[in-house]
Amino acid sequence: MDAVPAIRVVDLRKSFGALEVLRGVSFDVHRGSVVSMIGASGSGKSTLLRCINRLERPSAGEVFIDGEPMGGPVTASGERKERPLKDINRMRRDLGMVFQQFNLWPHMTVIGNVIEAPLRVRRMSRKDAIQLAEECLARVHLSEKGKEYPARLSGGQMQRVAIARALAMQPKAMLFDEPTSSLDPELTDEVLTVMRELAADGTTMIVVTHEMAFARDASDRVLFLHNGQIEEEGPPDQVFGQPRSERCRQFLSKKLQ
Amino acid sequence: MSEALIDALNPALFWEYRLVLLRGLAFNAYVFFAAATVALVVGLAAALLRVNRAWPFRMLGTLHVEVFRNAPDYIMVIWVHFVLPLLLGKLIGQRIEFSPFVSAVIALGFVYSGYFAETFRAGIQSIPQGHLDAGRACGMGETAILWRIVLPQVVRRMLPEAVNQFVSLFKATTIVSLIAVPDLMYQVSMVTQQEMRPLPLYTGAAVTYFVVIYVVAGSVRGLSERWRNKIYA
Repeated sequence: MDAVPAIRVVDLRKSFGALEVLRGVSFDVHRGSVVSMIGASGSGKSTLLRCINRLERPSAGEVFIDGEPMGGPVTASGERKERPLKDINRMRRDLGMVFQQFNLWPHMTVIGNVIEAPLRVRRMSRKDAIQLAEECLARVHLSEKGKEYPARLSGGQMQRVAIARALAMQPKAMLFDEPTSSLDPELTDEVLTVMRELAADGTTMIVVTHEMAFARDASDRVLFLHNGQIEEEGPPDQVFGQPRSERCRQFLSKKLQ
Repeated sequence: MSEALIDALNPALFWEYRLVLLRGLAFNAYVFFAAATVALVVGLAAALLRVNRAWPFRMLGTLHVEVFRNAPDYIMVIWVHFVLPLLLGKLIGQRIEFSPFVSAVIALGFVYSGYFAETFRAGIQSIPQGHLDAGRACGMGETAILWRIVLPQVVRRMLPEAVNQFVSLFKATTIVSLIAVPDLMYQVSMVTQQEMRPLPLYTGAAVTYFVVIYVVAGSVRGLSERWRNKIYA
């Protein structure tokens, strides 16, 4: 394992008004490893993921991407200054994100969705961007759908395009926010298969999921969140086999029934 | 039908003056395109104020919308042409005059900017937050998100309503004859004064406006529906 983790989360806290959603979460994600986050709805999993790429600004704590703090360096007086948005955008390129609702841009074709960020953000030439997009679409097994509009795709296909769009930024890590939760059961497999392939290729991934089989078989570490804190963490065998926390045991027994 | 009636409806006179009248119609088109450009640009600016996070901007945008949406076109045309130059003149201590064309474009452009601002605002607010999040997660800046993700969708969503507003705006261009913009109505009035035959002339003008608006609006609607269906299938 490398000395500097791909993603390091340190004592992350987030409140919405009086509601404390995250109460001090710390963990590391090492390069090439897959971390699954499980837990009941409202346990803070999605908020945690959105704090990592700063779609939500954490109330306290810090996220380091390859050792670089997202929130900006600490000044001599010990204060942490918020980075300018331009800096944050630069760091976000290193984190591909896949959303529960896919969030494809409906006015662009599949290929248009995938080349948009490489063109506008990474300033690639159109020719290179299209070549890259075709590679990414091949990885999600949708090479033939480039010219379609998202409205013509099934949910599973849309989510795979969203994965290709995130891959096209060639990120250092991928964040998945319940990628199969809004899919019909018969469509989840095609998405999970792609995710397993990415994991096998050595992609660094954080996956918020309700798919216990995926968490158990495809991840290196599993975090169980409860009330904004990590209640249980460890390799899948341990978390699923001998959970120390009673709450985790209850959660899993309900999920695995 | 009596012969007098047939004679009265005979469009030959209208046809005789077709070149003059066509020049008038061209002026309707000039005023329309210039005012539509003003209305779209100012309307978009006002809409962006209306959805701004800072409340003073939102207030400013709301003020703009309320003032211009509630101002009658006719009053605005008169006011911009006769009063605004006086006010501005007093302000800088110099005599100012607007050409009728400029006054017409400013007045109609601003009145319709009030409507377009609301259409733009509704369109912007109807874009799911997730589309913006997806752009941000890819590292896109806010300006790129606005121009590449938000506005292209807003334009498609607002098209049906915008076509209606463009039709209203085109109809409103007929009142600019009041301040002597030489549009179709103005030319018809002039010819009527010479020929003393209001019936065929004004009827001809009415039919011309109807046909132009019916054909143009109909084809624009058809085109925009075909375009929208591609993405909202």
